[in-house]
Amino acid sequence: MTGHLKLTAYLGERQRSGSAFVAEAMLDLFTERSVASSIMLRGVTGFGSRHVLRTDESLSLSEDPPITIAALDTDDVIGAVADDVAALLPRGLITVERVRLLGGPEAVAPDAGAVRVSIALGRNRRIGTTPGFAAVCDLLYRHRFAGATALLGVDGTVGGQRRRAHFFSRNLDVPLVIIAIGTAEQARAALPELLAMTIHPMVTAERIVVCKRDGVLLQRPPAVPAIDSHGRPLWQKLMIHTSESTQHDGQPIHRAIVGQLRQHRAAMGATVLRGVWGFHGDQAPHGDRFVQWGRQVPVTTTIIDTPENIARSFDLVDDLTAEHGLVTCETVPALLALGGPQARGGLELAVYP
Amino acid sequence: MNVALWAGVLVIGGVGSVARFMVDRAVARRASGAFPIGTLTVNISGALLLGLVTGLTLSHGVALLAGTALLGAYTTFSTWMLETQRLAEERRTWPAVLNIVLSLVLGLAAAATGHWIAGLL
Repeated sequence: MTGHLKLTAYLGERQRSGSAFVAEAMLDLFTERSVASSIMLRGVTGFGSRHVLRTDESLSLSEDPPITIAALDTDDVIGAVADDVAALLPRGLITVERVRLLGGPEAVAPDAGAVRVSIALGRNRRIGTTPGFAAVCDLLYRHRFAGATALLGVDGTVGGQRRRAHFFSRNLDVPLVIIAIGTAEQARAALPELLAMTIHPMVTAERIVVCKRDGVLLQRPPAVPAIDSHGRPLWQKLMIHTSESTQHDGQPIHRAIVGQLRQHRAAMGATVLRGVWGFHGDQAPHGDRFVQWGRQVPVTTTIIDTPENIARSFDLVDDLTAEHGLVTCETVPALLALGGPQARGGLELAVYP
Repeated sequence: MNVALWAGVLVIGGVGSVARFMVDRAVARRASGAFPIGTLTVNISGALLLGLVTGLTLSHGVALLAGTALLGAYTTFSTWMLETQRLAEERRTWPAVLNIVLSLVLGLAAAATGHWIAGLL
């Protein structure tokens, strides 16, 4: 049985590679190699190894937002494309992680513990009159998942076909991904219903650790050695799920996290993505309303670094998520940081328990 | 009005908006706080210069190029409103109110100061 890998690139949208934008060139590459699933997500705020802030708060700065591009396929396809992605990227971060594809003939449900389930589907696919992403969120909510966030892609590939959003288009199959946090049992229980949905979702799962839920500390990021038995570095990823409207000291939590991490030079980067729909804590699944006081959508902040820096970053995050927020941690077996003060890491996957 | 003047408005207007983009970006990157200081800097400096330009007795053509084309393109009402709305949408009420009040107070003071400096010249 072949495994599946997820390659994720974190970069600035305006970066160029020759005459084309890097992001565009990456999606062209995924199309050329018929990558099963890929998605480009435009971020709200973030920074990279040079600690330059990207934000949509200022109109001039919002012209070059942080973006996240994820690609998912078999070990062979991702393994072959990874070096080409690295060659395209002058500055940014690339990670490669192991994922389980659920629902194929060789479906393997996760055994135990906490999992992140990612569900990719066409952004405007509907079930009856309900948007597909809302139906999926309702299902996950019914199965008592801890949280879910629907992120709208602007470009991507589905089954090897390019699906790019256009201004004048129905954008039916432009990818959207829902990332949900739950237990393996919940994932197993929800899976048959998910796969039976007429919107043909692609479902994958990754093992994670839930560090905080609704501001309550459950577990610190687990201690992970800096290198594996072959000397390959190990990395960790923190993901913080909060709401656009929850604040810390008069500032939305995600902005406060980015500000503090930059100020204390605690991490080499962070990216914040804003969802269109979702839930966590006690709230039922929801998005923005037409008339409202402040936006209500969920946001996701991602920090990837060495286990040592993640421990430091977690202390800051812990303080800022004293009342709200779902914080998860996981091991990242391969990371390549390009264009910073020094190039770090590599694309060879480390082995960890 | 002649073709040269129209062409001047086009070109100098373009220069003004590029200047706005550069100034806003440079200031916003350095400040990186919640407050949209880049746009404030642009609007206040623009108001000061426009006060100065209108205070000087310039010919019609030069006033059009410097005032309407250059400073009209340099300053921005829409960005001021958009960034205030973005603050409000994250429920950052005080920065949003401050952005309106501070821009009005400093803007009026800057325009008056520009006018006063022109009187001295």
